[in-house]
Amino acid sequence: MADTYEEEEYNAHFSGSTLRRILELLRPHWRWTLGFLLTVAATAGLDALFTYISAHIIDDGILARDRDALIRLMALYGGLQVVQAGLVFGFIYLVSMLGERIRYDLRKTLFNHIQDLSLAYFNQTPVGWMMARVTSDTERVGGMVTWGLLDIVWAIVNITSAAVFMFIINWRLALIVLIMVPILVVIAAQFRKKILVEFRAARKLNSRITAAFNENITGVRVVKALGREDENIGEFSLLTSQMYQASYRAAWLSALFLPVVQIISALALGAIIYYGGVQAHLGFITIGGIQAFVSYVTFMMWPVQDLARVYAELQHAIASAERIFSLSDAVPEVHDRPSAIDPGNLHGEIEFDHVDFYYEDKKPVLTDFSLRVQAGETIALVGPTGGGKTTIVNLLCRFFEPKSGVIRISGRDYTDLTLHAIQSRVGIVLQTPHLFSGTLRENIRYGRLDATDAEIEEAARLAGAHDFIVTLEKGYDQDVGEGGNLLSTGQKQLVSLARAVLAQPEIFIMDEATSSVDTLTEALIQKGMHTLMEGRTSFIIAHRLSTIKRADRILVIEAGRIAEMGTHAELLRQGGRYYHLYTQQFRRQLEEEYAI
Amino acid sequence: MSAFNHPLDLHEILPERRLLGLWRLMRGFRLTYLLATLTLAIASISKTATYLLLRYFADSVLDKNLLASSGMSEITRMLLLIALGFIGLAAVEGGFTYFSGRLAARTAESIAQRLRNYLFDHLQRLSFTYHSQTKTGDLVERVTSDVDALRRFFADQAIGVGRIVLLFVINFTALLNLDVGLALASVIVVPFIVITSVFFFKRVTKAYEAYQEQEAILTTTLQENLTGVRVVKAFARQDYERNKFERDNWEKYRRARKLNMMHSLFWPLSDLLCGAQMLGGFFLAGWLAIDGRISVGTYMAYVGLIVWLIWPMRNLGRLIVNTSTGLVSYGRVREVIRQEQEPLYDPTFQPPAEVRGQITFREVCFAYEEDESATLENITFDCQPGQVIALLGSTGSGKTTLVNLLPRFYDYTGGSITLDGRELRDYPRAFLRSQIGIVEQEPFLFSRSIGENIRYGVGREVPQAEVEAAAQAAAIHDMILTFPEGYETLVGERGVTLSGGQKQRVAIARTLLKNPRILILDDSTSSVDTETEAVIRQALEALMKDRTTFIIAHRIQSVMDADLILVMDKGRVVQMGKHADLLPQPGMYRQIYDIQTRIEAELEHEIRSAA
Repeated sequence: MADTYEEEEYNAHFSGSTLRRILELLRPHWRWTLGFLLTVAATAGLDALFTYISAHIIDDGILARDRDALIRLMALYGGLQVVQAGLVFGFIYLVSMLGERIRYDLRKTLFNHIQDLSLAYFNQTPVGWMMARVTSDTERVGGMVTWGLLDIVWAIVNITSAAVFMFIINWRLALIVLIMVPILVVIAAQFRKKILVEFRAARKLNSRITAAFNENITGVRVVKALGREDENIGEFSLLTSQMYQASYRAAWLSALFLPVVQIISALALGAIIYYGGVQAHLGFITIGGIQAFVSYVTFMMWPVQDLARVYAELQHAIASAERIFSLSDAVPEVHDRPSAIDPGNLHGEIEFDHVDFYYEDKKPVLTDFSLRVQAGETIALVGPTGGGKTTIVNLLCRFFEPKSGVIRISGRDYTDLTLHAIQSRVGIVLQTPHLFSGTLRENIRYGRLDATDAEIEEAARLAGAHDFIVTLEKGYDQDVGEGGNLLSTGQKQLVSLARAVLAQPEIFIMDEATSSVDTLTEALIQKGMHTLMEGRTSFIIAHRLSTIKRADRILVIEAGRIAEMGTHAELLRQGGRYYHLYTQQFRRQLEEEYAI
Repeated sequence: MSAFNHPLDLHEILPERRLLGLWRLMRGFRLTYLLATLTLAIASISKTATYLLLRYFADSVLDKNLLASSGMSEITRMLLLIALGFIGLAAVEGGFTYFSGRLAARTAESIAQRLRNYLFDHLQRLSFTYHSQTKTGDLVERVTSDVDALRRFFADQAIGVGRIVLLFVINFTALLNLDVGLALASVIVVPFIVITSVFFFKRVTKAYEAYQEQEAILTTTLQENLTGVRVVKAFARQDYERNKFERDNWEKYRRARKLNMMHSLFWPLSDLLCGAQMLGGFFLAGWLAIDGRISVGTYMAYVGLIVWLIWPMRNLGRLIVNTSTGLVSYGRVREVIRQEQEPLYDPTFQPPAEVRGQITFREVCFAYEEDESATLENITFDCQPGQVIALLGSTGSGKTTLVNLLPRFYDYTGGSITLDGRELRDYPRAFLRSQIGIVEQEPFLFSRSIGENIRYGVGREVPQAEVEAAAQAAAIHDMILTFPEGYETLVGERGVTLSGGQKQRVAIARTLLKNPRILILDDSTSSVDTETEAVIRQALEALMKDRTTFIIAHRIQSVMDADLILVMDKGRVVQMGKHADLLPQPGMYRQIYDIQTRIEAELEHEIRSAA
């Protein structure tokens, strides 16, 4: 579950270098950055200025009974408000677009980088983890460098300019207020952090609740069959009461936050009223001045609040950024050598020369594996799960490279070739076919992007997919749904075959599906496969007897070695592993074909 | 009703009218909510009082003549009292704001908790028919996101609207007390602000939905790329994928521009409206003050109060629009809640402690939907306690449907089924299901430990030794011991992934513990190798001993020893009898058997020709 990975722990300390790297993201867009920083600073300054003008309205206009001054000051106030509206428009637009742009940049960088990572990385990294990096982490970092930065600048400018005006009005009172600011910020920030922790706890429980719902719905047959309803709701209500505790706590802590900040600033307000009153009678401050102080103190709460929030969220943003950078810094294990070339084709002999391979240290998968395959030969790989069949295919496609030993194509070490040279000429049909959202046509075209509609149809015909496609309402333009979900497994197989046919690969690799499809589709798949195999060097991880029998050579792979090798007849005569495998398979397959 | 008693049967009380429904959801918490509103009112009054105190302060204490008449010490005494008054009012305001927030949170969280519990239980009591027609994702969405939207409605929006109304009413009343004309002049733009903000937020919501939609598309593109990485690499389509992602990514950026433009226009525009109103108010109040019609203190109080009158109005539009999402969620949740539950304990017939397992089918018919053609037609057969009934036939012949009638997952629509001589419909579902054990082809395991999975559904405390004995009989004990944490090892994503054969054996152990009188087995071993198959077969035999057993057979071997074989085709029983009876008859059974023999012959031939 994506959530679990997102919630992982992070370093509690601020990492300066990460912070610098986050700010670097703004460099390409420095004009926008500068623009929003200036507009927001001006807006914050104006806010403080408004209060100052209000003070003069009281002193110079009302108390002085000067109507001209009142009109003059009001006009100034109104004029500045129009200016501020323009500034507000400017900074909201700039900062939100900049934020979106940064997210866009980050997603693009990450996605492009992910395309280059080797399969080893994908095997070790859950899809959910990578998804969370590209989606929620980019969201958070984008928000921090824009809105977070904005809040900081706004708060600082606002407090500073208010401080300047306060000092102009009366420095003694200003000092009282300014002593309060850091105290408020520190308390508020600690408070915020605590609240954030509570919210995280609630969020974790929330994902557990979602998981419980999910499981009980998908497993509802078993729940009913075993009559577990009462126990399940008992367990679930424990979970929801935990959730209640956690979110109620988080909610009332947040409800406590503002009042606490408010009461602290009320202490400052009281001080101002007291000293301000005294000062007023001594003639050191005007009534307008006191009014200004009251306003400054009352509204000082907001920038303080913002600072506290940003400070609390900063840690999360840094943690997000660290995870983003860990993904974008990951070095692909398999990559092109500097002098790699494209030989133009992959015709010719394929040779595994004393190849060793393991995914994890000390757990060898292939050991001293050697094999020569003539151009055009069909090789069937059979044997138990985990024996190494898929690994052989993975190595051949150069999804992984041998840990030792060499794989040669036409006598040339294949690491001297570009990855594109190999992978664009190898066609693979996987056991569990993967289709992309979109139409059937788009999915088949994935095999060769410049193929015409006629060629697509031809490929579908060869693969045996055409017949079922034309029975669909929209034919080739039928939507296949997310991951091809709207099609049956057999149909997906046929489409993925058509895709491979269209690609006209020079080497063909197939991992035969074991999942049962109906006999008709089965026969179609067989036919499509044979069309593809004709005249091509082919490797089949084979389960079906017809495929196995048809192969030029059969390899029984066990524990990372070739246990037996030969033609069907030869191996049957030997009466060894293949003989057992075959008779067993044969019985079962025929039984299932006929009987049920 | 279930053993878990809901304080409130939502199924009964939730009406279609949405506001009424939201009101009913609050049952039991209305007083709390009322209290939340009252405390909020007190907090608002304190805030307003602060400005009235400020007025008194400016007019009375700062009076220039006061120094001459009362002296400095009297003034400082008054100042101290006023300063304490300010602090006191702030404390009252803060305290009551906090209480109000706390009460609102309690209401919202309690309503959400009750709703979650109800929905969870409700869902597991809905019929098979409902579940097979509904997509899991959609259902989960409704019971999580939509419930959360309702929670937010009670926590933020409902109280938020109350807050704005209170602020308006209280501050407006205060203004009226200061000066009626001034008060009336201060609310001229309020309707405009509300209209503008509703207008904008409707558009913002629309733009936001478009943006979210694109986000979903982008996420799908990303996910498909990541899960299909082998395909991408196999066809060397990295550049194509990059372009595709770039298109979707850019589209998201483009849609954000529209959304952001809305926001960027709304805020300054409403700033201007509010600003104009305030400026007009200041000017008028200033003029009145110069005329001496109001005091300076009144002017100062006015300047403070008008802020709390006008600014909250800006948020009213957002609240109103957000409220509409709460209403939509209510509709979606209610759709689930109004589904009828399948009663577990009706009817009230008290069955014996244990059934014997004598079952008769008489002319049993079944159709999934009323106007649909029958899935089962006129099924008639008898079965004695302890007998093995094998069902043979192609996919879709009705084998699974037939066995699903026994635990009353579906109720037969015609004919009669009796269990120990009593009509099956008279038995409570919960009782039947406690007497029937099911081992599916690919059993569903829960993401708990293996031990818990075996204990799952037994309905009593089971000592570890008994669990292990069951696992041993199911031939999975040794396998479990090889896992890092033995019986405590988690199953699924965060633990070990079990193969089909292993899952099946866990399910067998689970069923052994449950010790049902009637057994339903799906005899498929297609996904396991021969050795495992032999082991599973042995485990199954242990399980079937002394129980009435229904086997959905995929292989001729497993039907040969059955007491009764039902050969099914298109919802009917086409042949019935023991192996020895059926074999001589011409028909489907014979055909299948012939194939079996032919297989042996063919294999013989194959091997001979190879040699």
